[in-house]
Amino acid sequence: MPFFNVIKWIVWKDILCEMRNRENIASIFFFALNVILIFSFSFAMDRDVTQAIIPGLIWVSFGFASMLGLGKSFLSETYNDCLSYLQMAPVPKGAIYLGKLLGNLLVMVVVELFLVPLFIIFFNLNILDKLLPFLLILIFATLGICAVGTLFSALTVQTRAREVLFPLLLLPLEAPVFISAIEATAGAFRGDPIALYQHWIELLMIFDLVFIIVSYWMFEFILDA
Amino acid sequence: MHRLIKILRRFEGGVGVLAFIFIALGLYGGLIASPPDYYQGEVVRIMYIHVPFAKGALLAYTTLFIGSVFYLWKRDPVVDNFCHAAAGIGVFMTAVALLTGSIWAKPTWNTWWTWDPRLVSFAILLLILIGYLMLRTLVEDKQKEAVYGAVLAIIGFVDLPIVYFSVEWWRSLHQPMSISTRGVSIAPGMLTPLLLMSIGISFLFTYMVMIRTQMLYLRHLLGAKRGGLISEVDLS
Repeated sequence: MPFFNVIKWIVWKDILCEMRNRENIASIFFFALNVILIFSFSFAMDRDVTQAIIPGLIWVSFGFASMLGLGKSFLSETYNDCLSYLQMAPVPKGAIYLGKLLGNLLVMVVVELFLVPLFIIFFNLNILDKLLPFLLILIFATLGICAVGTLFSALTVQTRAREVLFPLLLLPLEAPVFISAIEATAGAFRGDPIALYQHWIELLMIFDLVFIIVSYWMFEFILDA
Repeated sequence: MHRLIKILRRFEGGVGVLAFIFIALGLYGGLIASPPDYYQGEVVRIMYIHVPFAKGALLAYTTLFIGSVFYLWKRDPVVDNFCHAAAGIGVFMTAVALLTGSIWAKPTWNTWWTWDPRLVSFAILLLILIGYLMLRTLVEDKQKEAVYGAVLAIIGFVDLPIVYFSVEWWRSLHQPMSISTRGVSIAPGMLTPLLLMSIGISFLFTYMVMIRTQMLYLRHLLGAKRGGLISEVDLS
């Protein structure tokens, strides 16, 4: 099967599964919502404080929520021994990785797009005119989280204590994504010209590129092991 | 017996002796013979422990990375034992470097911890190495354990420079670093013991890895023997 067809079918399969049970989307969404609530209890949310901590708050809630969703990405493949079929499939293994990555990215971005209006409502944000650069940051940062997350989901799915191990391995590696996403978001929300925080977006792009390439290559070893 | 294990057995004694000699000379030079620092006084002597261990930690992770690439290429179980050993000792080296650094930072920088790129990179290095060891204990299958470990080691190695740069940008944009780790041109009386200690700790690392690799190899064989996969002859 040609390379891009494999990617297309894997994405299609994941979206179909997701639309049939909505388990993953719902759990990510409500988890992130809970994180937002807990955070708003933890700080006295006047205007200045909100301004200062909202970029961090957004990315902490997205980050933790992604741990929940990405960790399960390969779990669904263990039922009915689907993983063995993926291993045996006569297709490039990297295409399977890219398919899973795209599927995860779609799910995460959809959830995040639902959460952004809630942030605006809950915290009285005045960012409607700054949404475009924020969306750019959102997509690149989520891609970075998903690139390593998808690989580690495959890595941890056959281990014991999977739920604990996955975030433990993933979070330290994603420090650059969180730093860049938070700094860029802060710049965007302040209304800075894009040249002032452009280097953070570039760092996100470099991270994405490097880890998609390395993960693409490493995925074959994991699946064949 | 495996070829690599034979080499390790032949050279382990020599490397151990070299480590002992260099560390003994370095400690004498650092703690007794070298002068106290003009600014820091006697406090500077912790440098002779801290810097070599930090170098040792980087050496350990580089070794782990090269070993992991080599394992994925050749699939030699002894190379995997070697990687496993390097990671364990890497945790020790990184922890010592962080701990001594923190103790040194208190009198000189007046803080136990600061969000300096090197400090953050080392903290993340420690977390990755601990994650590596945890991952290995949580995989049932031996071959999978080795491959997963190698993949994690490679991903982490690629990540570290990005972590370093992101933290550097992050700090430098917030405020000029109040404590710069500028390269202090160092007096020759201090450089010699520092070099001796660095070489000594590198030998110590090599020695520890050699011993630990053999230990893991024997444990591996014992497991295989219990499972009836090999005979008594292979163990000798």
